[in-house]
Amino acid sequence: MLTYLARRLFVMIPTLFMISVLVFVIIQLPPGDFLTTYLNELQAQGEAVDPAKIEFLKRQYGLDQPIYIQYAEWAWGLLQGDLGFSFEYNLPVSDVVGDRLWLSLVLNFSTIIFIYIVSFPIGIYSATRQYSWGDYGFTLLGFLGLAMPNFLFALILLYYANVVFGTSIGGLMDPEYINQGWSLAKMMSVVEHLWAPVVVIGTSGTAAMIRRLRANLLDELGKQYVVTAHAKGLSPTKVLFKYPLRMALNPFIADIGNILPQVVSGSVLVSVVMSLPTTGPMLLTALQSQDMYLAGSFLMFLALLTVVGMFVSDVLLAWLDPRIRLQGGVGN
Amino acid sequence: MTDILRIKDLKVEFVLPHMRVKAVENVSFRIGAQETVALVGESGSGKSTISQAIMGLLPKVAQVTKGSIIFADPKKPGTRVDIAMLDRSGSDMRAIRGGRISMIFQEPMSSLSPLHTIGDQICEAVKLHRKVGSAEARELAVEMLTLVGFPQPKRSLKTYPFELSGGLRQRAMIAMALVCRPALLIADEPTTALDVTIQAQILRLIKEVQAELQMSVLLITHDLGVVANMADRMVVIYDGRVVEAGKTDDVFINPGHTYTRSLLAAVPHFDMGPDERLRPLREIKPKTGSLLASAGDGDTQQNTSDVPVTLALHPTMASEPVLAVRHLSKSFTTRKGNWIKSEERLIPAVSDVSLTVNRGECVGLVGESGCGKTTLSKLIMRAMSPDEGSILFRGESGQMTELTGLDEDQLNPYRKRIQFVFQDPFGSLNPRMTVQDIITEPMLIHGVGDSNYRQKMVLELMDLVGLDPRFLNRYPHSFSGGQRQRIGIARALSLKPDLLIFDEPTSALDVSVQAQILNLLKDLQRDLNLTYLFISHNLAVVDYVADRIAVMCAGRIVESAPREVLFKNPMHPYTQALLHAVPFADLDHLLDFDKIMDGKASDPSRWPAPFTINQTSEPKMMQVAEDHFVRAERADFTEIAI
Repeated sequence: MLTYLARRLFVMIPTLFMISVLVFVIIQLPPGDFLTTYLNELQAQGEAVDPAKIEFLKRQYGLDQPIYIQYAEWAWGLLQGDLGFSFEYNLPVSDVVGDRLWLSLVLNFSTIIFIYIVSFPIGIYSATRQYSWGDYGFTLLGFLGLAMPNFLFALILLYYANVVFGTSIGGLMDPEYINQGWSLAKMMSVVEHLWAPVVVIGTSGTAAMIRRLRANLLDELGKQYVVTAHAKGLSPTKVLFKYPLRMALNPFIADIGNILPQVVSGSVLVSVVMSLPTTGPMLLTALQSQDMYLAGSFLMFLALLTVVGMFVSDVLLAWLDPRIRLQGGVGN
Repeated sequence: MTDILRIKDLKVEFVLPHMRVKAVENVSFRIGAQETVALVGESGSGKSTISQAIMGLLPKVAQVTKGSIIFADPKKPGTRVDIAMLDRSGSDMRAIRGGRISMIFQEPMSSLSPLHTIGDQICEAVKLHRKVGSAEARELAVEMLTLVGFPQPKRSLKTYPFELSGGLRQRAMIAMALVCRPALLIADEPTTALDVTIQAQILRLIKEVQAELQMSVLLITHDLGVVANMADRMVVIYDGRVVEAGKTDDVFINPGHTYTRSLLAAVPHFDMGPDERLRPLREIKPKTGSLLASAGDGDTQQNTSDVPVTLALHPTMASEPVLAVRHLSKSFTTRKGNWIKSEERLIPAVSDVSLTVNRGECVGLVGESGCGKTTLSKLIMRAMSPDEGSILFRGESGQMTELTGLDEDQLNPYRKRIQFVFQDPFGSLNPRMTVQDIITEPMLIHGVGDSNYRQKMVLELMDLVGLDPRFLNRYPHSFSGGQRQRIGIARALSLKPDLLIFDEPTSALDVSVQAQILNLLKDLQRDLNLTYLFISHNLAVVDYVADRIAVMCAGRIVESAPREVLFKNPMHPYTQALLHAVPFADLDHLLDFDKIMDGKASDPSRWPAPFTINQTSEPKMMQVAEDHFVRAERADFTEIAI
């Protein structure tokens, strides 16, 4: 098991390297760079541009270097924890991103936990009472949740919160805490505001998860070992939790790696609509203005989440399922 | 009266929103103390529904609408419980289920949870029904695992089901069912999924623990051979009703009901005369048309039904070889280790196999699962390439051609000369093609005839396998297993092949349907002078259809002989073990449980001296009599010259 862990960790290094190359290449793909975009903008406003100044800026930003050197510098910086310099904000990326990274993490983890907490009981209920009124009801709600775009749901929620309750549920904290240092009161404010985006972002994920859990569990419920467990004289609840549910969990654990980036990218639109101070909207503008180090940092952050998520799910699977642990080449 | 269980007038219905379907009706029988009762019937007869009713495990839509199931627990004398009245998941029912009445199932592979250790699953059963601590539960589990013959009971507590062989899994299942020492054990087809030698061991085990624990057994099976060897009394179920019940001896010697009689007549047994035929419930009369009569052409013999029986029985003398396999070997590689240092291991699947099939002959290939018989058939079909050896096949030119070196294009003309009939009649027909398309497809692929010819051929083939030509536009799902297998046979015959390979063609079918198919195959062979290679694990079936039999074990053919010789004078210890292990539906040939070897039978390194195969000795096939070969190392046998 230990060698498996070590091997699995080791594999992550070349994976991340490949991703970083890809990310860099993709950001460089559109013609021009941040400076040309910037110059165009200036010229459009009728300002004269001094060629010497352009040369100076180019040298300062390192844009005159060949691509591979730019990449090497960026990657070397990343390794040391230096995320580079944002052209647009004229600040180091880490200062620009600031709390956004952590707020995004908090928001997305809360969403995932919300999805799991809501979908598990409902999924189990739907599977064990297949074709009952309750099952049909949840199925209908689930399809609604799947069919409705998240941002639309966000707009509806914003509107009614304002009209009916007279409150604004946008943002992740009360306005007075923005750009303030962290305090208990600020944290409480974040917690108060968190529920709305969590529900909005979580609905479609929850609906999908309920459908999948229901289908998985229904498959498992018909299996022979469940009959064996009943034949032992176990109570129905115990049978359900010890045997089929345990088996039905595998796909969910295998999903952890996917669900993280899915939730992160799914929340971009909602974040724009609800003006959440998360990474999503900033990534969008950074990509538009070719602010390459800022965009690159975000994309690497997403990649890291995916790779780590995959690692966690692999380790959990090996730990939970003896078939993977003992037969899947984990043990040697 | 010391009956433990009395079922009276039982009626179980499946209640669906728009209708009620009767599963069983008017079922009454009893099970005495320490008695073994067999519930016999074919698939769909309702025998499993009865067992589920006794266990309170009926599916949600099924209801006991009439009758009673009275359980008198010998541990609590005087009490009687009507199981049919109990709440299925209530605590009273749960105390009986698993505690006083236990059940073992057909599929040892899937009836244990793969995520929990054997020990966990057995101890759980103990703790449910007895007030014991964890340590004590473990002790009881070890005791029970020892009783069912686990080699290392203490260590096996920590093993997972997928780490065990099929036989050991079924033993673990039995241990789990018996650990609470129930009064009644229900065994639902406990050995159907197992090989014959393992089946014999498990049957012996059930008998032993039954005596040890003094319990009754309700044995549910379709195999009359198992019934003859195990049951004191038998109950025959047909279409949800009891058609006959009585002492096993009486029923076997003097079956009262027509259904029982036909069931007994449909089972192949050993001392059938050369002309004796199985009698299925419904016989198929193959009708040969003009196109097919010339099957196996290139041969001057125009054999039709007027061929004398004696000649058909000994075609070896009259005929030339169609297929000659010489010293064929095939290994599979498995990779073990990580991607830095990997270690490849060769697992031999087929080694040094030589086999000859003559025109007009049926050669039977017998062996247990995993012995390499299917791999061998794939090698002959050239679905895989052998590592070593040669495959000679007589093609259209009449010359023996070496198939091993040929590439895909060169193989093409030979592909239509060898056809295959598969084991699973459900999986081997494309559900989206009509019967017409299915039977025409091989002809289309090989560009045989024009559309007129193909149409005529399809009609003739349908006639041949006894299917109504009106069925041609139907899809496979509307046919029964036996009918589908006949469609598969028609498809294989559409190219008029020189060699037909059957891979367990009847193992998925009920006995009466099996008899029907076997008779059809025999008739077709006689009428069309066909050549068969018949692969099966069932010795009795092979005995019925084959002229010569080759016994295969661990990738090697260990003995081959004409069928009468093989059964009269088996030389190889493995052949002997196989013959000892087959349960026959014949009270005069009961299993001799003392002669059953415990797992040694199929391990070549544990065969006695002249037959042993290990690193130091690799015996070759020796001729012991005309046409009788045994793999052994003996100076007084002469090696066959090939």
